[in-house]
This record gives sequence, structure tokens and C-alpha cells, in this order.
Amino acid sequence: MGLRKENGEGLKLDVSIGSLTLKNPVMTASGTFGYGEEYAQFFDLSRLGAVVVKGLSLLPRMGNRPPRIVETPCGMLNAIGLQNVGVETFIDEKLPFLRQFDVKVIANIFGESVEEYQKLSGILSGVDGVHALEVNISCPNVKKGGVVFGTDPEVAALVTRKVAAETDIPVIVKLSPNVTDIALMARAVEEAGADAVSLINTLTGMAIDSESRRPLLANITGGLSGPALKPVALRMVWQVAHAVRIPVIGTGGITSFQDALEFLIAGAAAVQVGTANFVNPLATMEILDGIKDYMERHDIMDIHDVINSLRA
Amino acid sequence: MTNGRITGNVPAAPGHFILSIALPATFQEPSFGQFVMVRNLLNGKAMLSRPFSVYGFHRDAHQSALELLCRVAGRETKLLSGLKAGAGVEVLGPLGNGFTIRKDVDRIILAAGGVGVAPLSFFLKERAKYPSKAAVSLFLGAKNGEIASALVKGLSDTCAVHIATDDGSLGFHGPVTEILAAELYSCDFERTRILACGPTPMTRALARLLADKPIDCQVSLEERMACGVGACLGCVVPVRNSHGDAMYKRVCKDGPVFDLRELLWD
Repeated sequence: MGLRKENGEGLKLDVSIGSLTLKNPVMTASGTFGYGEEYAQFFDLSRLGAVVVKGLSLLPRMGNRPPRIVETPCGMLNAIGLQNVGVETFIDEKLPFLRQFDVKVIANIFGESVEEYQKLSGILSGVDGVHALEVNISCPNVKKGGVVFGTDPEVAALVTRKVAAETDIPVIVKLSPNVTDIALMARAVEEAGADAVSLINTLTGMAIDSESRRPLLANITGGLSGPALKPVALRMVWQVAHAVRIPVIGTGGITSFQDALEFLIAGAAAVQVGTANFVNPLATMEILDGIKDYMERHDIMDIHDVINSLRA
Repeated sequence: MTNGRITGNVPAAPGHFILSIALPATFQEPSFGQFVMVRNLLNGKAMLSRPFSVYGFHRDAHQSALELLCRVAGRETKLLSGLKAGAGVEVLGPLGNGFTIRKDVDRIILAAGGVGVAPLSFFLKERAKYPSKAAVSLFLGAKNGEIASALVKGLSDTCAVHIATDDGSLGFHGPVTEILAAELYSCDFERTRILACGPTPMTRALARLLADKPIDCQVSLEERMACGVGACLGCVVPVRNSHGDAMYKRVCKDGPVFDLRELLWD
């Protein structure tokens, strides 16, 4: 006790996602942190458990027509449509920037067919500076693929198997909440070889301007994120954590360290912070500091004593 | 994020108000055309900050003072319009790329639509800082004369001001781009630069007007934003890149000021 320092040194914060060890359980959620460049001016990215980059496809994608976002009570809808530079440009132009930091990089991948997922896995496997893959089978904002892969357990399992077969780095499958039984989906991808699951992606939603009777997004529907999502996400994380043996990464509306702790207590091995980055560029750092402070206050040395510690 | 304190909040015109915010002396000096994201900490209901271009900025040894000219556009700006001196706000910025002034122009034409006059007013107030000797004139379009006169208050001392209103209650009755078009007859295109900020219909009309004239025009755009720093890709506009390909650029990070000719219209 006497040896513990005020600034959280001496606390054991590292967590494992398959064969990957993160220095702490706080990472960024895909699509909310670009490729790290925009937020490096605000804090040292090396302090993060991991950076999950904007979803990558084989070829660059322009994304959807604007307007793409609209704020809704305690949250926002987005229909970006997976605008991204494409996997090759990511490796050549974006990854070197991230390699400057002592941080784990998780490449989020998205395909329009099982073959595209497989190719993306093959291309990114063995690339210096890519430490894990997060397979997006759950984006609600693209016409082809996307959510289709994320709502059928057999298709989700097939994508997982093909991606895992191409790579030695951990495969995380990001699950959609837009299903009847998310535990069933989690078990399906676990059996197919996923090293971890992350959940939840956005809930599909919609907003209309009653004066003009027009949708507020050009795409009409979008994905709901932010605090409005949190109770749903927490319930699903808790359910899935009891349904699978692989690590669960919790995400959905996490804004404060208390939110992050709720997910860890419910059984998540790590958390992703998304929309909160838009509100406060330092959200991840404040959450991390808050977790350390909580551990100090509760005399907890190892974050594993927080994880899955829900009391009856 | 920087913590700021409201030091003044005055109505400027119906539906418009000027916020004065005290910030630390270390707050980076904005260039004209840059913007800030502001979050109401007192009674704000929104999760996300709201973007405003800088209307004025002063600094002394102890603090910085930021001025924003805002329009009530929705619930959150309505709440901001009611903030009293002493209320706390969070400010992120200055953000984005502002206007650039080339030395070799003789004429600078400022084209504003409504509250779009804000960044152009900032230029007029700070004009001494820019090396240009060019003659400057302002063309403002507004809903009515009451709003127009309030928005240009004090600016006629600094440059020639031309007004157009939607209802004809002051100046020209019609779109501001029509009086601007008349002005262009007397311009040496090569030595003129237009700086514009206004609603999309004005920008679109400007694009049509300048399609066959070799005049440089920079335009500041507005879009819904979440992050303000380039990460969320929510505020994009379609442009044609240097290879001639259509692509989306971010208003917050690649703009908010763009070359008018870069923009793509449906």
C-alpha cells in the first residue's frame, strides 16, 4: 500500500485481447478517431490502450451524400457511409504516423463480400504496426453487405472463419445491436474462431424535420451513438459476457470513467470510447485517469478485480 | 477545450446576438475565417458543441477576448442567446483554415449573406494586420433592412457598403449577387479577389455568376459538425480535386474556406 504512488503508477491496468496485451483497457472506437492524426495535437496517443482506426475497405470509398449527421436527444445519428482512404493508402500514408507512437493499432475492416473481408485480412496480416483486426459486420449505413453480415449468425461465422484463416493477429468481431439475440451472434463468431467480440455498433435510427417533412439525413436512416445508447449497450455486453469465453470489448455511449467502469463491471475486458471524442478530445484520457483514481479509492491494484465484478 | 466565461451578450438584430467570451491569454490568436466550437455549460441541452466563425478577437497581458456574431438557428443557439455575463462555456479552437489575402490585388470584394458577415467583419476590423493596399467593399444580403443595418453597423467607416434585402425594405430588392454582378463590370478580373460567406443559395448563385469570369473567390462554408477537428467526417462537401475527380472534403479541417471553383454543385 505504502509503495503505491499517487499518479496511478503501480496499478496493474494491462488487459489481454487474445494474444494482444493492451497497457490499459481504454481504446478509441472506429470511425470516431480517424487514423489518429486529428487527436495527436491534444494528447500523447501512446497513453491509449489501443487506437481502432476508421473502417477500411479494399478500395477508397467516397461515403454518403451530406447531410450525414444530426444531433438527437443525448446522442447523434450518423450516416457517413464508411468514407475511407482504402487499405493500401492506409498502409502507405496513415500507418507510418501511428507507428511513431507506442500504441497498439487495431485495423477495422469492412467488405462487401466474404472474399473482400478475406482479402483485407490477408493484406493487413503481417503489416508492421497492425496489431489486431476488428471486423465490422455491423455498419448500418451502407447498401451492400454491412449489416447483412451482422444479422445472420451463419454468415457472421463464415466471415469470421475466412478472416481468421488469413491472419495470425487477433481477430475481433464487432457486433450489431440490430438483432434479436446478440448472445447467439457472439457464440456463432466465437465458434468460428474470433479472438474477441466488440459491441455494440450503432443502433439504426431516423430523424425528420417536421416543418419540411424531410429526413434530416440524406441517407434517411443512420446509426445512433452517444449516451442515448449506453443502457442498451451495457445490457448487451453483460449478456454476451455470460455467453462466451472470449474477451468482450464494451462500447456504446461511454462518456465518463463511471460509464467505462459500468462496462468493465458488467464483464467487458476493455472499452472503446466513440462519440465522446467529438464532445471532448480528451475524453479517453479523462476516462483513463478516472479509472486509476477509482482503483486508488477502492484499494484495487489490478483492473481484473474490476472486470466482471457485478454484485448480486 | 478551453474554459471561457461570458463577459457580454447583446442582441445585434432580431434573431442575432453578439457573445463576448473571456479566455486565457494563452488562447491561440485566430486568423480571419477560422472558427471555434462552443459548448454552453450553464443550461445547454446539446451533447455536441456548435461551430461559430470568429467575429472579433483582442488580447492583453491577462486574457483574451473572443467575439462571436451568432444567429438563433435552433434550440441550442436560442439557449446561448440567453446566457448572462459570468456563465461558463467551453471553447475549442481556433479551428480550420481561414481566408488568405494576396498582395497583388487592387480590389477586395466581401460578399456576405446574413450572419455570414461575421468572418468578413473580423477582416475589416483587423485589416491593418494584412499587407494589402486594395480597395475594399462589402456587399451584404439580408432578410430585411432592420437586420441588414444592424449587421453592417460600424462597418461603413471601414469600407464601401452595399445592401440588398429580400423584402426590399433597404437597398436593392433581391439577391445580393445581382448588385455584385453589376459591380463586376468595372473590375479588372485578374486583380480582384472575392471573399464570401453566406447561405448555400448565395454561394451557388456566386458560383454561377463567376463561372465565366477569371476572378479568384474564396468562400467560407457552414455544415453541421460533430467534432470540429476532422475526425467524424460529418461536415463534408463535394469538391473536384486537382486530378479532376469528385471527392468529399471536410468543412472543419480542409475548410471552412474553399476556392469557389473547387466546389461541386448537383
